[in-house]
Amino acid sequence: MSDLVLVLAVAHRDARQELRSRAVTVATVFFSGITVVILSFALGPDPDDLRRAAPGILWVALAFAGVISAAQSYQNELAEGAFEQLLISPIPRAAIYVGKLLANWLTMFLLGLLLLAAIVILFDLPLGRGGPLLAATLASGTLGFSLIATFYAALTANLRARESLLPVLMFPVVVPVLLAAVRATETLLGPGQATGNPALAGPWLQLLVGFDLAYLVVCTAIFHFVVEE
Amino acid sequence: MNRAKRPLWLSGLGLATLLLFGTGAVLALTVSPPDVNQGELIRIMYAHVSVAWVCFLAVGISALFGGLYLWRGRAGHDAWAVASAEGALLFAALTIVGGMTYSKPTLGVYWTWDAKLTLTALLLALLVGYFIVRALIDDRERQGRVSAVIMLVVLASLPFNYLAAEWFRTLHPAKSINLDGSGVTMEPAFVRILLFNTAVAVLAFSYFLLERVRLGRLESARQDEAEREGPAGEAVHV
Repeated sequence: MSDLVLVLAVAHRDARQELRSRAVTVATVFFSGITVVILSFALGPDPDDLRRAAPGILWVALAFAGVISAAQSYQNELAEGAFEQLLISPIPRAAIYVGKLLANWLTMFLLGLLLLAAIVILFDLPLGRGGPLLAATLASGTLGFSLIATFYAALTANLRARESLLPVLMFPVVVPVLLAAVRATETLLGPGQATGNPALAGPWLQLLVGFDLAYLVVCTAIFHFVVEE
Repeated sequence: MNRAKRPLWLSGLGLATLLLFGTGAVLALTVSPPDVNQGELIRIMYAHVSVAWVCFLAVGISALFGGLYLWRGRAGHDAWAVASAEGALLFAALTIVGGMTYSKPTLGVYWTWDAKLTLTALLLALLVGYFIVRALIDDRERQGRVSAVIMLVVLASLPFNYLAAEWFRTLHPAKSINLDGSGVTMEPAFVRILLFNTAVAVLAFSYFLLERVRLGRLESARQDEAEREGPAGEAVHV
């Protein structure tokens, strides 16, 4: 079988697992929703303030939910010894990583779309003409998160204190993603959009794509050292 | 056991480092003239900049030995990698302290979201994560492997974190020495003292590194002994 088929098979398997454990999916969605609400309460009732903070709120909620969902994707595996089976099978480690990455990315991207819609409605934000660029920001930003989250979740999956360890390890690495994604979203959404123009999102999107490409190479290349028996 | 004794040359290196450190301090504190713009604060720069350079050098060395460990699987390489990582942690903390000391009198606040300082703070967090993970793994082979992987990711994160932090906001004094070779805009007297202090910082780091590698070897020799003597079969492999 070609590696692409294997990657898709792993991704399909993971995505299906994600969808079947409905309780977990619902919990993750509501967790990110609650994060948005909590942050809004913390920032105060001024609608203008909230509109300005909206891109940050979106990405913080997405980042928190992304960590949980990536950690969860390995917990299901370890509980039944399924991951060992996967490692024994003649699938290259890199294909396992990319497959799990695709599933995590898809989950995070869909969650991002949902959150975006919720925030646009909650904070009454103008969407404007930045739609396609906003989707590109969401896609490249969530890919950046998923790359690191999928990688480090495998590393921490069978360690003690993994719940707090995973964010400690991954957040300092994904700071550029968070920063670039928030800044790009700012230029495309909300009060900044009225004055600014979508061209301002360009450099931030380039940073996101550069990050994604670099870590796709690095993480795929060294993933087999993480899960080696 | 004789192996436990520190070799004479290493003690000599430590002593030489101490003497040169004193010389560097005298040069920075009394010999160096005050700067036209920064005045006496230039004296902080000598300690701060040299320590910062060594901090990033240490990360590079640790990642290099981590890579070698992944490639060759020799326990000795892991000893070098972790020794260098400890040096990086120490020098990163010192860099932040130095940066904050410099920031208070010049900018009025201890913490600024300056690019290089933010980069170092993120590096410090990454290194702390490295040591937490190390402490949580018992199997030594896995410990070395996972540490090496983390250090490689840390190394890869530096350019992105730097870029992001620089675009975020920067208040750092303008670069006086361009590392891309486009020139130096600093008085030669300052440059000489800075280079001297950097050499001392490298020497201090080398001394710590060698001493730590020696201790690391003793540690693993002791562990080997304990494993041979103690009840076997306790290690859990994953």
